[in-house]
Amino acid sequence: MNHFSLFAFALARLRDGLIVLFLVTLVIFVLGHVIGDPAVIMAPVDASERDIARLRHQLGLDRSFREQFVSYFGSLVRGDFGQSLWQDRPASTVVLEALPATVLLTFVGLVIAGLGGSVLGVLAGARPESVLDRSANFLSVAALSVPNFWFALVLIVIFSVHLAILPTSGFANWQSLILPAGALGVTHGARIFQLTRSATFEEMTKPYVLVARSKGLPQRLILWKHILRNIAVTIATTIGWEYVRMMGGVAFAIEVVFAWPGIGQLMIQAASRQDFPVLQAAVIVAGAFVIVTNALIDLLYRYLDTRIHAA
Amino acid sequence: MRILRHFVFLSLGLLFLLGAAAKPSRPMVIAVSTEPSTLDGQAVIDRNSRVASGNIFESLLDRGANGQVITWLAESYKPVNDTTWRFRLRKNVKFHNGEPFNAEAAAFSVNRIVDKEYKTQRASYIENIKGAKAVDEYTIDVTTDGANAVLPVQMTQLVMVPPKAAREKNFGVSPIGTGPYKFVRWDRGREVTLAANETYWREKPAVKEFAVRIIPDPQTQIAALQAGEIDLVLDLLPEQSKLAPKFISMPATEFSYIQFNAHKKELADPRVRVALNLAVDKETLAKTIYQGHARPMDAQHLAKGMLGYNPNLKPYPYDPKRARQLLKEAGYPEGFELVLHAPIGRYLKGEETSEFVAAQLKEVGVRVKLQLHEWNAYRQLGRIPGKEPNAFDLKYGWNSNEWFDASRIVSHITCDGTSSKLCNKKVDELMDKAIGTLDQKTREKLYQEVWAILNKEPHAIYLLQQNLIYGLAKRLQWQPRLDDEVRVAAMRTSE
Repeated sequence: MNHFSLFAFALARLRDGLIVLFLVTLVIFVLGHVIGDPAVIMAPVDASERDIARLRHQLGLDRSFREQFVSYFGSLVRGDFGQSLWQDRPASTVVLEALPATVLLTFVGLVIAGLGGSVLGVLAGARPESVLDRSANFLSVAALSVPNFWFALVLIVIFSVHLAILPTSGFANWQSLILPAGALGVTHGARIFQLTRSATFEEMTKPYVLVARSKGLPQRLILWKHILRNIAVTIATTIGWEYVRMMGGVAFAIEVVFAWPGIGQLMIQAASRQDFPVLQAAVIVAGAFVIVTNALIDLLYRYLDTRIHAA
Repeated sequence: MRILRHFVFLSLGLLFLLGAAAKPSRPMVIAVSTEPSTLDGQAVIDRNSRVASGNIFESLLDRGANGQVITWLAESYKPVNDTTWRFRLRKNVKFHNGEPFNAEAAAFSVNRIVDKEYKTQRASYIENIKGAKAVDEYTIDVTTDGANAVLPVQMTQLVMVPPKAAREKNFGVSPIGTGPYKFVRWDRGREVTLAANETYWREKPAVKEFAVRIIPDPQTQIAALQAGEIDLVLDLLPEQSKLAPKFISMPATEFSYIQFNAHKKELADPRVRVALNLAVDKETLAKTIYQGHARPMDAQHLAKGMLGYNPNLKPYPYDPKRARQLLKEAGYPEGFELVLHAPIGRYLKGEETSEFVAAQLKEVGVRVKLQLHEWNAYRQLGRIPGKEPNAFDLKYGWNSNEWFDASRIVSHITCDGTSSKLCNKKVDELMDKAIGTLDQKTREKLYQEVWAILNKEPHAIYLLQQNLIYGLAKRLQWQPRLDDEVRVAAMRTSE
């Protein structure tokens, strides 16, 4: 694959991403109108019919659906996500303020999941039925079986209430990051572990490993040089998918439990305040994030896998 | 492997050290579940916002320990005529930024919030207030649209703002009041920090600094309380109360009920409405679902001490036999079908209560189908205007009477009330007369008469006066208020 085709591929991915993003905005817009009359939702409880009609006109809700979507989409393109109803500031400002906390949490969570899951996966896959394999396998199945918010609460009860060594929640110092990132890391690391383990196991039976063994190469070298290289694509893809899954809700649930001031907590609060502009902006920003991540994974995938190069 | 083991032990040890080091006396922290929308005390009404702004701002009048209206930034007040009230202001009060508190500031504050352009969420608190003007440096006249007997009640929540600072666009994020605490900082999504006002006109607060921290999950709130990270949780669940280091269960100004659509054929007959009240065992409801953190209300959306409370009324007894007999007399020996609407996740144990009531009504032959709605859909049900027999049949809700005043219920029981499905000319007449009667004793009598009528022709199944449960840290000494305001100046810590 030469540089040009890589560039063309990136462009194509960008185009696909934009189409998906457009569809996301359309779905959000339609949903916003299906759920209920936004004017009724925004009006105070004791508002009269006339107040509601006035609000409907102010919000432009008395225009045709198409007109409304065109003007809405036009504003989005200009970076105008509307005014937060709850905070009376631009919705984009509110969301972008919360974004760094989410990025920090998910990034650290992903590093824990990726490193822990793949290292343990390779070790366990290389020695099937060993103590390490059995215990790591048991724990990962357990981690995948319990609801993540419940797991998070258990961590809080153990480490904050009983051992009293870590804060329960908040965003005060680096210690506050340990539990939420750990909870994310374990939940997502479990699946990475499972896939890495079976990939390693499968790889172990391949002829080149036998050859390497018969040549007397030490196990360490076989594992971390040859096998790891061959299963790197699987691991990278899994990690990418886990990130999408994280951004698709798990991280948000974790944020709420740990009072982590990111996009997830913001969305829950915006929902309870009927703040549609913020919800829309948050979903679009999170959507854009997932799309960009996906594209990067695809690029990485092409870069790592020689068979795709050839194709 | 040995290196790994060392690493694990070392890091665990480090964590313990960190935990031990992080325990010096920390400032007071109060948990709330949602972030305030603004800290401008005139703009919003929700409790989570008030925990911060209620300590920054003050009003001309306030409420005393028993909920009675008392003077605060005003020294005295009285009606001058039917539509004018005169307030004499306290001298030597300053705003946090040094602006003087005087008639100009007070009149400005009233005129700011009643301005339609300002769009306060406290709409009912400014209803029928026209405006204010300074009479002399420490006297203002507040004028009303017609005689408005609840003006003193409204003035307990109409906070005073400094004219210069309040004209700035950023007033909502850097609020300035006359209160015992000054705004320090707002970390978005995390917490709001306040510090004691050292030039406060009353006794200086004992707690020198406090933070209002946003912790959305109730389970995390109680864990943080147990871990000693916070001092106060506002709304514990009944089943959580025993987990808290200390808890106080406080009767609140919240009354749960099931509203009738009295325009519907079966429910138009008062005997049926009384029968449904008799069919529900309120005692058991309070004891089981709420674990005792509630009590049956005295067949009125009021508690003792509130204006208009009728002391002759008691909760309807639980008497399913009599209920069945009444239904028979009304011509429904076989009962009939009704739909009960309730919102999801809005009221504490609202779904459970609705199921309980539905089951009890079935016992007397009224077959109730429960329909749960998302909050917005539920709200729209209540908006179907006028005498519509096909609006909801039964609707579960809570009525909050933070006015301590029977006038608060007007929209639920008058013919044209925005939430009303009842029309009784006599009730309308009495409610009308009461709001225009400035003499509080006469007014009280009028409301008592209204509740006596509504006892024979109920507008709802009267359920419970609900409690609020506060979770407190061991070190916190505090008695919650009847009006559920959280005043940190009244708090002490034992350390």
